[in-house]
Amino acid sequence: MGRVTNRQIVEELKNGDRKGAGHLMDAYQDRLISEAVSIFHIDSLDAEELVSDVLLSVIQKIDSFKFTKSDGDFHFWVMTIFRNRIRDHVRHETLKGGLMERFEESALENDQEYSGTELEVVRAVVRQYETSLHSSEKSADDPRTVPGKLHVIAETLDAMETWERVLLRCRALDVPYEDISQYTGKPVSQLKVYHQRVRKKFVKLLSEHYPELATS
Amino acid sequence: MKRNSIDKLIQLAFLEGDITTHGLYEQTAVKRHSKTPATAKARRKLLEKLEAGLKARQATIAAPLTLGSFLRKAKMEHSFTTSEIVSRVGISANIYRMLEQDRLSPLKISVVSWRRLIRVFEVPTDMLAEMIRRTYQLVFFAPSYRTTLARYKQEKSRAKKFQVLEAAARELYARADLVLPPEEEQKLSDFIKTITG
Repeated sequence: MGRVTNRQIVEELKNGDRKGAGHLMDAYQDRLISEAVSIFHIDSLDAEELVSDVLLSVIQKIDSFKFTKSDGDFHFWVMTIFRNRIRDHVRHETLKGGLMERFEESALENDQEYSGTELEVVRAVVRQYETSLHSSEKSADDPRTVPGKLHVIAETLDAMETWERVLLRCRALDVPYEDISQYTGKPVSQLKVYHQRVRKKFVKLLSEHYPELATS
Repeated sequence: MKRNSIDKLIQLAFLEGDITTHGLYEQTAVKRHSKTPATAKARRKLLEKLEAGLKARQATIAAPLTLGSFLRKAKMEHSFTTSEIVSRVGISANIYRMLEQDRLSPLKISVVSWRRLIRVFEVPTDMLAEMIRRTYQLVFFAPSYRTTLARYKQEKSRAKKFQVLEAAARELYARADLVLPPEEEQKLSDFIKTITG
């Protein structure tokens, strides 16, 4: 059977053709579950449920989707719905008090290349995020509309060189070094070496946003 | 891949929309292949859910709820003007506008005009019957809705406002023809059969 294009999937879904549901599932179920589990560390059962909600959302909102540039527009649209759904899941976990745990088990203690102060800074950012979520929950605002919860991360990245920024952002999402190399023009072997160094530089710059921790 | 806390912070900022990879992450995701494909059972379950979603969406599109929504949509689809419609159906422009806004009881329109309207818009009779029924309900309950709204606006305290809404909702639910999910419907029918049988 030939590969089903995104245009075909969209057309089938818009026409209410049952084949469209099958094609959408074939194209995205495994891929998105795998992304949720391996990249965003969501429990596999939660990931299955989350992805089924994402694909159902795609069906419900399909009339609002339009191709503007290429066949890939649909993929980007699905990925945006997926990302928003993951974000809602993480926020929900955070409100239940589980975010710090995630960070602790992900090796705050094992990050031996960072100083005690730098680790405190990471903890402070996480706590700040938790507080901003709790306060936006208490106020009547829709949490989705409250901007800049992690603005400090963006500001710190902006203070770095472009290639460093790209390297950090992309590696955090497991983009292969080969692709980053094409984008930044740096050789693959050099990027691998620089990654640790750039990460350390990032933590140091991040610490400058929390002078009170440096002196304590 | 083992991820440390810095990667996780950056991920969080990405999810919150504070930073972007300018599409590089999305492009990578399309190329990656899953190492653990979903089980046949999980696939079947998801397919059922998606097909039900597709069916529900089609049903919403296929059947406009009221005459007003149907007429507005049909007028656009057929590229008719109001004057064209009223001359073919044989009603006044004022009456037609009230129908479009769901402000007129469908029973005020003659049977002959309804038959003409069926021909003009090629609307299936069972669909028209359902729309007439819903519009009639809407027009019938409009005064009581307006009374509820006025009482709601009048009340100063939140608790009283809540009471007004609750009373109105209770009355509406008692009168409305609410469709139960199939398994609940079955449970209810079985129970009634037991009592009456």
